[in-house]
Amino acid sequence: MTQQQEQMSAFMDGETDSSEVLDAIKNDAELQGRWQRYHVIRSGLRKEATVAPQLDITSQVAAALENEPTIMAPKRSGWRKVFSGGVAPFARQSGQLAVAASVAIAVILGVQQLNQPEQVSSPAGSATPLIGTPGGLAPVSLEQSRPVTRSDMASMMEKKRKINALIADHEQQIRLKQAKQGDEQAKRDEQ
Amino acid sequence: MKKHFNIRVADWLCQLPFIFKPRQAASLIAGVVLATSVNAQQSADTDVSTQSETTQSGGLNQKDGAEQSASQWLEKLAETVSQRNFQVSFVLSRLGQETTPYLWRHAVLEDGTRMEQLNLQNGPGQEQIRVGDIVSVFEPDAQPYSVSSGAIHGPIPSALLYHPDSLKAAYKFVAVGRARISGRPAQQLRIISRDNTRFSYQMWLDEKTGMLLKFNTLDLQGSVLEQIQVTSLAISETPHPYFAKVNKESLPRPMASGTRDTPSHNWVPAYLPEGMQKVQQDVRRLPGTGQAVEYKMFSDGLVDVSVYVQNAKQGLGGDLALRHELNTFLSMRNGNVQVTIVGEIPLQTATAIAQSLQIKKPE
Repeated sequence: MTQQQEQMSAFMDGETDSSEVLDAIKNDAELQGRWQRYHVIRSGLRKEATVAPQLDITSQVAAALENEPTIMAPKRSGWRKVFSGGVAPFARQSGQLAVAASVAIAVILGVQQLNQPEQVSSPAGSATPLIGTPGGLAPVSLEQSRPVTRSDMASMMEKKRKINALIADHEQQIRLKQAKQGDEQAKRDEQ
Repeated sequence: MKKHFNIRVADWLCQLPFIFKPRQAASLIAGVVLATSVNAQQSADTDVSTQSETTQSGGLNQKDGAEQSASQWLEKLAETVSQRNFQVSFVLSRLGQETTPYLWRHAVLEDGTRMEQLNLQNGPGQEQIRVGDIVSVFEPDAQPYSVSSGAIHGPIPSALLYHPDSLKAAYKFVAVGRARISGRPAQQLRIISRDNTRFSYQMWLDEKTGMLLKFNTLDLQGSVLEQIQVTSLAISETPHPYFAKVNKESLPRPMASGTRDTPSHNWVPAYLPEGMQKVQQDVRRLPGTGQAVEYKMFSDGLVDVSVYVQNAKQGLGGDLALRHELNTFLSMRNGNVQVTIVGEIPLQTATAIAQSLQIKKPE
């Protein structure tokens, strides 16, 4: 570790407050990268991990979208009509907010298993009464204790990624909804 | 950032409800409580022998009275959180998770502008600042941004703070009686969904100011899922000096949320909990995976439920039920589509919505 890196590490820990370190970081792209990595590692170690190591997810997806001509979807006839109207790429819909919220994907690290089936009478007026685990629904644990093969691992990761995408999207939609209501309120106020 | 958060006090206050359950605490100061008891609690409490007489003698009128007094307390809360200068520290606890401390400030400036701040006090933190109807969000891992919104999106539901009346279609509010919270005399309210299909809530409001002191989220069995406990409360005549330091010009400019088309879907849930309505509908791609989904959001004002329908081939490849924080995550296969429900509702309610989904045959 060079002296500079050592100084930076000490600076991060609040052990030195030399402005030299700051200047050095400001002027050195490599140090800047290191600065970011150190923080990612540190918050990972502290289990804070709100710092997503990779912030480029959105641009990657956006790039992939550009190159993608068609989408597979159920009930082609119905869907094609909708898509020909154009699915707006998410980045265009919500702009900056999408970038901010997409980072939440990295925040959701563990998903707990719902292991105890809740037992309560079905909601009044429910069209379909619930008895036991409906539709053969079996709570599935993402953490498996048996030895996993490489392909198991890959499909688990894929599953986890899909779950995270949905939960992150749900949270983003809630924020967007508030912003949208705010906009409508502002418009009403203007009139 | 204020680093000297008094952890011991916070811990102690968190334990309080477990040491003194509201009931027992009430009996500790029984003289006062019995005299003023407005007991309309409808829960299945069985150990309330001391208060049963008061409850029975009340009859119908008392129930109306309790609802009315609940509304009055909520009005008082709404007035305080939107009209007063205050600083509140609270902690958020969930089962099996570390406690998170927050700092919440509000001020009415001389020119009438309302400013609000919510700061997550542990780790790299998160700061939200509201000036009038613009909320700016600062997070360690993202570009700061602003949106126009009359309320900060934090752990306390904003509809409950500012527009409790909007929740009446889905929930009933019941005044329970007096208790002691954070060292202050408080009034306890219960919030129960009218058809008992959603989580219920208990809240305690400061008798003097109406400020929220404690807020519990309970599942259908009555166990606490999440708890917000105020650890300090200061209401002042003048705004906190913090607000003078905020340079309003340097806050990010609000972005337009944009208008979205609402393409039609060929599916609809036949069952929805009482008071829940569709608030959004579109066809999108998920930010995480780029997958196409048809999306609807339903809301009762307090909780938002997302329903995703996508090609089963792209789905999770099986049925799955998970919990993430308060969110229930349920994914089920229905024919050749995968239906996913995400929201702060009990699993059986999510299941009922998912199973009631009717998919129209394409023409």
